[in-house]
Amino acid sequence: MPLEQAVGVATDIAILSLLALSAYLVLLVGRISFGQQAYFALGAYASGMASTLAGWALAPSLLLGAAVGALVSALLAWPTLRLSGLNYAVATLALAEMMRIALMRLHVTREVEGEIVGPQGTEGFRDIRWLLENDVSPGGFLLLCLGVLGAALLALAWLRPRRLGLALRQVGHDEVLAASQGLPVLRLQLLAVAAAGALAAIGGGLYAHRATYIEPALFDPMLGVHAVGYALIGGLGTALGPLLGVMFDIGLLEATKVFAGWRMVVFGGLVALFLRFRPRGLLDEATVHRIGAAWRQFRRSP
Amino acid sequence: MNLRQLLLVAALLPVVFPAAAQSRRPQVDLACEAHGMGPLLDCTVRLRASDGRPLTGATVTLGATMPSMPMAHTVKPVRALPTAAPGEYRGQLTLEMSGAWAIEIDLAGPVRDRVVRVLMAEECEGDGRCPAPPARR
Repeated sequence: MPLEQAVGVATDIAILSLLALSAYLVLLVGRISFGQQAYFALGAYASGMASTLAGWALAPSLLLGAAVGALVSALLAWPTLRLSGLNYAVATLALAEMMRIALMRLHVTREVEGEIVGPQGTEGFRDIRWLLENDVSPGGFLLLCLGVLGAALLALAWLRPRRLGLALRQVGHDEVLAASQGLPVLRLQLLAVAAAGALAAIGGGLYAHRATYIEPALFDPMLGVHAVGYALIGGLGTALGPLLGVMFDIGLLEATKVFAGWRMVVFGGLVALFLRFRPRGLLDEATVHRIGAAWRQFRRSP
Repeated sequence: MNLRQLLLVAALLPVVFPAAAQSRRPQVDLACEAHGMGPLLDCTVRLRASDGRPLTGATVTLGATMPSMPMAHTVKPVRALPTAAPGEYRGQLTLEMSGAWAIEIDLAGPVRDRVVRVLMAEECEGDGRCPAPPARR
């Protein structure tokens, strides 16, 4: 694979991993969201508009996208988290579609140097050119994406053994038991869902600046289903699980082109198989525990 | 940090992180036609500088991705080579299926830019060729 293409694939893996991590965060608190693509879209549009229409730099544009993603995610989660599992999943899908259709009606344009820029409904949002105008190379942008992903993974790893991390997992295992132990279940789920919205939005912002062109059709339910699929294939035992799922799909199936146009079919079949035989994915909690125990034993041995 | 301080920070952000410098962009025309059951997409790119003159000496790379599945249905980027006509470049993409494809035209050399055009590529029977018109939604 030429270096140029390898850099592109690695960048896609890093960006999709942020989306997969957002789906993982929701799964962690015991809910399934098929609507994370909506926050990816909000992040893409918000940060794209900030850098293109308002002339903001990339970092504050991404931060604005993250804030919008977190806020909208929390606002929508407030009423929907009261729904039971399946109903919540359907609600996330419906709300995501509502937002996508709303983006089809979004027209905010401005003339910059004789060219009309900004979202133009179904015609899309072209010329998000901050990277080109600031001479950011594909390799440099890959490093930025890896840095953001690394920061997210480190934050999740730091949180894991802490009281908050354990409480989130407890809620995910059994909401009723968690509530009976005095944990604020709804508040913890809101926190996780808002963080998931922010993560997806940052991914969307990075995607918009990499692609330079976005349109509402990009953010259809297939993207959200894939995000959940990545987390389920990779495993829920650790935040590295979703990354594994993305690497498997994009890194192996897509980059090698083994199955060409049949890749989606193969991926769907794999998700079904995993749900049947390894419902909590490749790196499930038991596997992570075993790996941890083996590592500790290895370190103790003379 | 109270609301007034937050608003002040938001107002100062474009000052702290200056706006991107604007540049005069080249004009990019893309015409593609599909053939075969892949389908294969023969694309011709015509570049003009902002003053209207044909833009020669550019490195033109063509890529394609399906908007219905961002980042997950992409094809290997190919180099579009200059033809005898000044400012004209030609390359062939092998798509995985018919449908709407976002063709990414990456320019390097005298000018660095990326232009995206969404086309509807259909499979054509036998040796037949069919134009790939802009996708309408």
